[in-house]
Amino acid sequence: MGHLSNDEFFAKLVDLFDSAKGKDHGSIVLTQKRLSYDQPLPEPTDDTVPSDLHPPRPLPILIRATNGKGKEDRKANKKIKLSTVVAPDSLPAFFERYAEICKQGMGSLKPRDRSKRKGKAKKKSKTAATTA
Amino acid sequence: MPYYEASQEWLRQSALLLEARPSTTRITTAYHLTNKTGSSKKRQMRRQQQQEQLQTATAATASSPAPRASLTIKTYDPHSGTCLKYRTTKAAEVSRLILSLGQLGRNMAALPTDTDAAIADAGVAEEVGTPGTEKAEGRGSTGGNTGAKGQIQTQPQTQTQTQTHTQVQTQGQGQTGGGGGSGGKGKKKRGKK
Repeated sequence: MGHLSNDEFFAKLVDLFDSAKGKDHGSIVLTQKRLSYDQPLPEPTDDTVPSDLHPPRPLPILIRATNGKGKEDRKANKKIKLSTVVAPDSLPAFFERYAEICKQGMGSLKPRDRSKRKGKAKKKSKTAATTA
Repeated sequence: MPYYEASQEWLRQSALLLEARPSTTRITTAYHLTNKTGSSKKRQMRRQQQQEQLQTATAATASSPAPRASLTIKTYDPHSGTCLKYRTTKAAEVSRLILSLGQLGRNMAALPTDTDAAIADAGVAEEVGTPGTEKAEGRGSTGGNTGAKGQIQTQPQTQTQTQTHTQVQTQGQGQTGGGGGSGGKGKKKRGKK
């Protein structure tokens, strides 16, 4: 499967997170790595220093997302695989949107617990009232 | 490899790993939904019993409990076999973790990182900062009699001793500042009454 454009990837990622919503099991796996396939890299001039440490120009990043299905589910066409390539210049914008989508998609994580702080505040106000 | 306790430590180690092997290292973020937090059968039985009790007690709100999830971040380099992990269940951390993935993405893409710039700035600040303190000391010593004594003492002494001298001076300033702060507190209390 070819790579999607960044916008298409985000749209399908939202669908992927939505499909996991309300279920009590399952997983979503996101991966990122440098896109080194089919990229021109200079021949190593020195054997002691690998040529990939200081490339002449920034390289793109490959982002993948799957629903973690395999084996039987793969045969039943239930496995979803998405991938996109992010250009070095659009990295900050991409990750801002990525973070927003992940935050909304991962709704089953434990929300911030505010009950404790409220309890403390109430106690404080009570003690203040008794002393005053 | 074990899980890191702090996400900051995971981020630091991952940045180091990426620096060493930028082409082969990959970062995997896994979001797992699960309705059980433990795998032991005893624990599962106990939880089931508790849930049944809860459901009988509060029949009105008998909806099943919200599913629990966890987020695991793993940095793995297949060449060296290095694996760095961090796990969380808190929704509040998601945004920060994904943005730190973006930071690491800069390392992957071989872009100049923000942290490098910050370190360079800090280095410049330090260089500027040291002569600044010396100047301050000079001003202080020209002030009163005690200051003049200090000047006489510092001239033959080594650099480390002059540093301790500046420390004493700053401490003195801190004390006066503290006094002012306590005064402010007192005023606040009066205002309350």
